[in-house]
This record gives sequence, structure tokens and C-alpha cells, in this order.
Amino acid sequence: MLSYLVAIAIIGGIYSLLTLGLNLHYGFTGLINFGHVGFFALGAYASALLTLAGLPFAAGFAAAMLIAALVALPLGLLAIRLRDDYLAIVTLGFSEIIRIVITSEEWLTGGVQGLPGIPRPFGGLGVGGAEYAYLGLVVALNGLAFLLVHRLAASPFGRLIKAVRDNEVALVSLGKDPVGVKIRVFMIGAGLAGLAGALYAHYITYLSPEQVIPLVTFYVWMAMIIGGTGRNAGVVLGAGILVLILEGSRFVRDLFPGVLDTEMASIRLAIIGLCLVLFVLFRPRGLIGDGVER
Amino acid sequence: MNAALFFNLLLNGVIEGLIIGLAALALNLVFAVARFPNTATGDIMTVGAYAGIAVQGLGISSTVLQMLAAVVVCMALCVVLYRLVFRRLQGRSMLAVLLASIGLAFIIRAAVFLIAGPEQRVFQIPLQRAIDIGGVALQPSMLWLAVTAFGCMAVVFAVLFLTPIGRRMRAVADNRALARTSGIDVDRVMVALWLLTGAVCGVAGMVLGINTVVMPENGWNILLPAFAAAVLGGVGSPVGAIVAGLALGIVQELSTPFVGFTYKIALSFVALIVILAIRPRGLFGAAVKVR
Repeated sequence: MLSYLVAIAIIGGIYSLLTLGLNLHYGFTGLINFGHVGFFALGAYASALLTLAGLPFAAGFAAAMLIAALVALPLGLLAIRLRDDYLAIVTLGFSEIIRIVITSEEWLTGGVQGLPGIPRPFGGLGVGGAEYAYLGLVVALNGLAFLLVHRLAASPFGRLIKAVRDNEVALVSLGKDPVGVKIRVFMIGAGLAGLAGALYAHYITYLSPEQVIPLVTFYVWMAMIIGGTGRNAGVVLGAGILVLILEGSRFVRDLFPGVLDTEMASIRLAIIGLCLVLFVLFRPRGLIGDGVER
Repeated sequence: MNAALFFNLLLNGVIEGLIIGLAALALNLVFAVARFPNTATGDIMTVGAYAGIAVQGLGISSTVLQMLAAVVVCMALCVVLYRLVFRRLQGRSMLAVLLASIGLAFIIRAAVFLIAGPEQRVFQIPLQRAIDIGGVALQPSMLWLAVTAFGCMAVVFAVLFLTPIGRRMRAVADNRALARTSGIDVDRVMVALWLLTGAVCGVAGMVLGINTVVMPENGWNILLPAFAAAVLGGVGSPVGAIVAGLALGIVQELSTPFVGFTYKIALSFVALIVILAIRPRGLFGAAVKVR
């Protein structure tokens, strides 16, 4: 039971990093990113492939963040010229391109067969110890990321970021450069998603294109909406509730043993959908939003 | 690539393009009047295809009756979605409505999975000999699908441009506040819009189901190319949706021998990104912003 809780906490921490990145994109600058899973996938595969090639974990994690952030640069340059609705569709398309490339380039990614045997750190600590150490790593990286975002939000750059979201025209009239701000925020958020991907890859130790479908992006959106956009405390809450929904459905199966796997997946999908609709209808600012109506 | 292969691919591309075009038309109708990308469009199409399958299951083999059932069910579903969710979100941000439509798409797909199961279904279409024109195999069913798709488009344009409710719809699309002050009952226009959208979804779902197989993910899979077509054609433009849909379908099929089956789907996104980089408002996008 305890090991199960640790596993849930690790997955929750990974979603929390993803949500933090998305919250930076949308909650702070209003950029609608529907392709978050693309950055996650880039980070996951980058770190997995590099460590499989014999590089140390630290190099894998760094590469994961770097590659995700670098890919975000051209996408961000295109994105800032687009209307909100176009941006949503383009980013969704971007994540699908990433997934299709992963599916097709078997020589590199294993294609639909997947990428097994990804190394897991802390192997020397025994089975239980390794789990706790990994949880420690996830929590520590979350802490660092939250500190970074917090410092960012409190800095002059942070005020600039919020100004981009709230009134871009006024910002331009003050002689500021909203384009540069948005691009940098987009890259930082993408880097966080890449890091989450690396953490995921080395924890699960197996990757396949099935794990990077657009649904994951909407899991993260749901976590952000539930927690409240623009609030970092909400990120943890939202990610926690998301993992409870995703993992809690296993307990439902214990209660109703006749339910099939595919049916369970559908029920999960319906619950996620219902949460999205109900929160948008009745609690648009989430459980603890920052009070800005959007 | 020899001429026969080229024309066969072209033919498949036209059918594929018509399906994408119909889905994009449903997207753009909602976009023009209700002002949000309706992510549930694909899954509404799926429901239409399953309604047709259900009628077939009753022993009714007439494709026309199956299509009719699909259209009616989709129309009803669209009006229910509008009454329950979309009407309450009027005046809210585009993103709010967009997220709600994603939620609805998930709920609909989950329901289809739970009720119909994950296995593939097929429409039993009587086999007919393909007409051979110099090595180009023309299936009579393809011809019928094309006629149906074009017929559906003609009906939509007739409703939009030849009827009083169509005129009101365009008025609301153009300027909702002005339309309201001119005495137009916006709620009634919206119901009409969703009925029209539902009809298009029903036809699109059936055409897709007959052309390939019926699966719960059908609609979601066609949604992304349809989005690409809608954006390429200029969001909110019905003509643009169809032209861009056809173009994407044909390009996808013709590229298959060169890029393979998986990459042909990526192609529509690449086209989308390239064209948006050059023309941020799409090929047929109006010079002024929608809002």
C-alpha cells in the first residue's frame, strides 16, 4: 500500500511539473498551448535515448529540457503572430507531428513497439530505497521549478509577463517588447514539460507513442483549470486531483470486478470530460484562482 | 508513379477530401456564428455513423434510411449540447467554450465506447463491379459518396444564402449585437445553426463510415485534418472549408507513395504550419479580425 502511495506521488509530481509549465504559458501570458504533450514527449525520448546510449542521467535531464525549449522557439515565433483559436489548433497539430514522427522513425524510437529498458536511477539503493529516492528527486525538482516560477513572477520580468496577459496594447505603448517576453515564457514552460518527460521516462522505464497522445495535454489542462489558472498553489492541487481521478479508477475496479479494461478507460475519459465541462460552466476560476475572469 | 496509380490516388484523395471538407464545414458553421472551434464535431460524426449502424442492425439495409437516422440523431444531439452547455457559455471567452467542447467530445466518445464497444463495424454495401477506365478503378459507391457530399454542401449553401433563417444566421455571424437590436431572435438562430451543423455531421459521419469502417475513434481522427482544413480555408468560411478540405485530402493521398501511410497525416499539419507562417489568417481568411 505504501509503495502504491509513493508511485501515485511520483506520477502526481510529474503532472505537477507539466501543469506548472502550462500554467506559465496560459495562466501568466494567455498563450493557449494545446500541444503540451509534444514537449513532454521530446523530453522523455531525448533523455531515454541518451541514457540508453550510456550518458549519465544528469545529461539526459539537461538535454530533455534543452531540446523541448529549443523546439519551442520556432513554434513560439509562429505562435505569437496567430489568433488564439489558430494557436490552439497549431499547437495541437505540433504535438501530433511529434507523435507521428515517434511512431514512424522505428530505427530511433522503436516505433509502436516502444522503447523498453530505459535505465532507472538509484539502482544501488534496493527496490524500496530507489522508489523513495526517486520520489525525493521528483519533489526536489518540483521545489526548484516552483521556486524558479515564483521568483520569475515576483521579478520585474514577472510583472511584464502578467502585463502581456492583461493588456498587450498598453504594454507596447510603454515601449516594452511583448514578443520577446512571450517567447521566453513559452520556452521555459516547454523546458519544464521536457523535464517532466524525462522524469516519466526513467520512472516508467518504457516509452511508446501511446503515452504521448493529445489526451495527456487535456489531462494537464484539466489539472490547471481545477487548480485555478495563474496560481502556483493551484497547480499542486489540480495535479493531485487529476492523479486521484486517473489512479482512483483502479479502486473502482476493485469494487466492480466485472468492469473490463477498455470500459475503465472509457469511464476515466468520461470523468475527465465531465470535470472539464462542469468546471468551465460553474467554477471557471478553479478551486483557487487568482480572481481574473477570462 | 504511373498515370493509373496517380488517378486512383487522386480519386481516393477527392473522397477523403470531401469527408474532411464536410467536417471542416461543420466546424466553420459553428465558428462563424457561435465563434469557437467545436472540438466535439468529430465525435458527433461518430455518433451519426453508429446511428446508421444501429438502423442497419434492425435489418434495414437502405443506406438512405440509415443516413436519415444519422442526420436526425446528430441534429438532436447538437441541439441538446447547445441547450445544456453552449447556450450557458454565451459571452464567455473562446477558450472556455473550447474547453467545454473538448470535455463534451470526451464524454460522447466514452459513451460510444461503453454502449457500442471497441470493435469495428462495417456498413454492408452491396458489392458492385468497379468501373474500369484505363486502369483507374472507379467504385460506384465512391460516386455515390461524392454525390452525397456535394448534395449536402449544396443544401447548406442553399439554407445559408437562399432562406430567411440563413440570412439571419449570417447576420448573427456578422454582428451579433446588431442582429439582436434588429429584432432577430438569436436563440432561434442558434438552434437553427446547431440543427444545420448536426445534419452536416450526420452526413459526414455516414460518408466516413461507409468509405472506411466505423470505430469509436473515427471522428476524433478526422478532427485534426478537419481543423487544418478549417484554418487553411479561413476560419468561419464555408467555401474555404470545402476547398481546403479537398486540397488536403488530395495532397495527403498523392503523397502516400512518397512519405508512407503514417506521415500523410502529418502532412496536413505541416501544410497548416507553413501556410500560417506565410499567411497568419489562412488562405481565405478575411482581412479583418473576426472580433
